[in-house]
Amino acid sequence: MIDSSRDGKRPLWLNLLGLASLALFGVGAYLALFASPPDVNQGDLIRIMYAHVPVAWIGFVAVGVSAVWGMLYLWRSRPIDDVRAVANADAALLFSLLTVVGGMTYSKPTLNTFWTWDAKLTLTALMVALLVGYYIVRGLIEEPQRRARVSAVIMIVVLASLPFNYLAAEWFRTLHPAKSVNLDGSGVTMAPEMLRVLLINVVAAGLVFVYFVSERVRVGKLALSSARERSGFEAAAPATGEVVRVR
Amino acid sequence: MSALREPRADLAREGGPRGEGASRNEASELRVVLAVARKDLLQELRSRAATVATLFFSAVTLVMMGFALGREQAVLNLAAPGVLWVALAFAGVISAAQNFQSDLEEGAFEQLLLYPVPRAAIFLGKLLANWLYLTALGALVAPVAFVLFGVELGAAAWYVVPATLLLGTFGFAVIATFYAGLTANLQAREALLPVLMFPVIVPVMLGAVRATEAVVGRSDAALAGGWLQLLGGFGLVYFVVCSALFHFVVDE
Repeated sequence: MIDSSRDGKRPLWLNLLGLASLALFGVGAYLALFASPPDVNQGDLIRIMYAHVPVAWIGFVAVGVSAVWGMLYLWRSRPIDDVRAVANADAALLFSLLTVVGGMTYSKPTLNTFWTWDAKLTLTALMVALLVGYYIVRGLIEEPQRRARVSAVIMIVVLASLPFNYLAAEWFRTLHPAKSVNLDGSGVTMAPEMLRVLLINVVAAGLVFVYFVSERVRVGKLALSSARERSGFEAAAPATGEVVRVR
Repeated sequence: MSALREPRADLAREGGPRGEGASRNEASELRVVLAVARKDLLQELRSRAATVATLFFSAVTLVMMGFALGREQAVLNLAAPGVLWVALAFAGVISAAQNFQSDLEEGAFEQLLLYPVPRAAIFLGKLLANWLYLTALGALVAPVAFVLFGVELGAAAWYVVPATLLLGTFGFAVIATFYAGLTANLQAREALLPVLMFPVIVPVMLGAVRATEAVVGRSDAALAGGWLQLLGGFGLVYFVVCSALFHFVVDE
């Protein structure tokens, strides 16, 4: 997928991807802030939605992708799968943090409170807590294989917990604005020009996500190969006695 | 057939090396599960230190919460189910960590892993022990909580409360046993275990508290039933997921 640029330079396609995501992000932000019409009920506040909804969707996608790489690691034990899983976990943590911040920003003016115990906000906050646990455990295990295995397992548990946390929080209580895009075929209850802007922002957030993850995988690969070289060196000259730490 | 099976099963029970046939049957795996559970419960029963500590820890938590919430009976009534399950959760974390701790201290856990049995069977044995232990703890602590907080139970409570205890402690025990195994040889595991497992068991806490609440001061068996379904589904899914993943977390 990614050509292993041994000299550590960023490949051209990655730079282009970064530029493309930046450009589309700019277009999406312009459309969201200026071109799209204000909402009937919420006025200009609706513009937060164009940032909040794509970020939230991508956060959940990232957890899923990370868990899939984790499963692949458990299946075939290739270190690169762990690198990919962590890259997606980084994105998941970042995007879910942004979702919580965005949700709180959104709920202060509309619902007059920062924290609402709303189903989706609570779910995302729990996801942040689960992902932080993932990183704590990663930091505590020195041995790379065991660390990769355990963190893959934790990410699978995180993925499995999402439906339950969602159900529990939904039954608990919800104040969240109703979904305007239903995936079960019941259609879309959003003005077409607003939907178009939202989808452009989703694509922009998706591109940013792919760029972040690709860059993170590239850096992870470099760290992996340098650690390999070092451990090969250690094996050749064990007298140094230094413990190899693979990050 | 049974004459062939008998000696092999005996070997498995005594922990001897497996015969060269190496065809594990379900009966012997069940034996392993029961043997591990029996070992853990016996250990708990004989040392009693952890049992007494966790029991009184939950009781003290109840009293502390009673003081913290003030003297108003209405507030105490409302809070009782939540306080009960918080006390059980705290005690459950301690006992699950303790379970693996005592195994690790003497290197017994490595011995256990050396037995030629599936890791899942060891997990199930430990889960069974933890579950029975937590259920017993809940059966002792729940009446204390109801008396201390002056709760009047509804008509359906006689079966809703035991069902909630069984299903709630099961979901809790699955996660607690799994994460206790995962954190067993990490630093700062006592602090780490609740940080890792509490976000996962939020649905269990919520379901158990709501189901208990449905029979406190009223008797809404249908409402309790909905939450019990959530508890059952949670227990079932994590039972499968954790049994399948356990050998990855304890592999050395």
